[in-house]
Amino acid sequence: MPTPAELVGRLVRFVGDVLGASTLRFEIGTTLVVLGVLLVLLQLIARPVSRWVTTDVGGLAAVNRAMALAAEAGTDAVVSLGTAGIARSTDAFGRLQTLSALPLLGHVARAAARAGVPLRVLTNDALAGVAAAAALDSAHERTATLERLGRSRIVMVGEGRASAAGLVMTARARPAAAVATGSLREEAMLHLEGLRGGAGSLTAATAEAAQAPSAILAGGGALIGPELFQAASDLRADTNERTMVMAANRLIVVAVLAVAVGSALVLAGVIVPDDLLLGIGGR
Amino acid sequence: MKRPTIPALVIVVGVLLLADLLVVNDSLGALAGIAIDAAILVAAGAALAGVAALAARRTGDLWRRRGDPIGAALVLAGMAAVLIAGLRPGADGASEPAVQWLVSALLVPLGASLFGLLFVTTLAAARRSLELGSREAMVLVAAAVVVLVLLLPVSGPAGVAMAGAAEWLLDVPIGAVFRGVLIGVAILAAVFAARTLLGIGAADE
Repeated sequence: MPTPAELVGRLVRFVGDVLGASTLRFEIGTTLVVLGVLLVLLQLIARPVSRWVTTDVGGLAAVNRAMALAAEAGTDAVVSLGTAGIARSTDAFGRLQTLSALPLLGHVARAAARAGVPLRVLTNDALAGVAAAAALDSAHERTATLERLGRSRIVMVGEGRASAAGLVMTARARPAAAVATGSLREEAMLHLEGLRGGAGSLTAATAEAAQAPSAILAGGGALIGPELFQAASDLRADTNERTMVMAANRLIVVAVLAVAVGSALVLAGVIVPDDLLLGIGGR
Repeated sequence: MKRPTIPALVIVVGVLLLADLLVVNDSLGALAGIAIDAAILVAAGAALAGVAALAARRTGDLWRRRGDPIGAALVLAGMAAVLIAGLRPGADGASEPAVQWLVSALLVPLGASLFGLLFVTTLAAARRSLELGSREAMVLVAAAVVVLVLLLPVSGPAGVAMAGAAEWLLDVPIGAVFRGVLIGVAILAAVFAARTLLGIGAADE
């Protein structure tokens, strides 16, 4: 039986062998840059500071008022989770937008639960529907209104991005408030126009840069580009929620500085972008 | 109290994939491959479970006569049609002609007819936004009008100059704004993904 010293020796030898059999995939500079970016990102996420400012992003602060109007009028409210889904055949960016829509759904669902307003959640993805059902359950549980849960429903609008637009354009219901949040692409204008046609108020949120005009022209509150990911933090004031906003503030400042300094260096002829970028290349 | 299992798993797998990105090592590559294969399997399982949940829910709607029974019947019929066409003995799955016909003869024309409305709805939305006096919409429509005018098919030196101006507008000011939005989106997407995976920021009001 080996002694503890032998075990430690074998472990050290094994680690040495592993290291000996390895080589860096990139040059040392690129490797350090990747690790440095990761460390900065983690540090920014984990350490909140005091640069947080509150803003009424996308008019979401008015959700409670809209719910009060809906309760008085006896109508419902609609939340569309976009058209990317989670399990559908789409890209990771679209899926991430669907995930980012869930905190907004939770916010609207809590307001609806308190006001006794039924909520319709539109999705074209089965897994997103399950997540939305969980968000509704959680909202009613937190507001101690489980008896109202049955009035809200998840509407599966069918496969494809066009089907969601078709449904909202042909629906006869007139909700008091509509929120479309998540990935909206070529169908964005149809989707938002369909929701706006019946709704008392509309908030459109999408991180798809090409669809920013659709969100602006929809005429309600708009969360454009990065604001979709920030919105969840702006809705509440606890430390964890603020962390993302503050991290974003710092990262944006760093990115702007990097772009400005890089541009100045290029203009001054200190660096040549092609040489710099192509010179670092990995194997 | 939150259980730290999932964040710990995320960190371990994240460090493994990062190490595989930076270091060439056969064992590390094999381990990273296992992690990626497992993620693909979980995603596929989740997708199947989601479809099964949808079918169960709609069957329940139909059985108990609640909600929209016609819609439920259509959903189940559609699912059955695609499944039978693609999974019957001897079928080629998604590349089976019957499945492709269902897509190309039903889904695509329906989508195309809807997108035909895009031009009209965009103009209507622009007009309404201008009537409402939205500042952002005014800037947007003004920029669109300028670019449209510059892109008019005018012949001669004036046309060349207009086309050059349009190209400059698209490449420099509009391109700069677009790139700025993309940089912001990339940063926030990374932060949001990290927070989601690590379980930071549980919603509470």
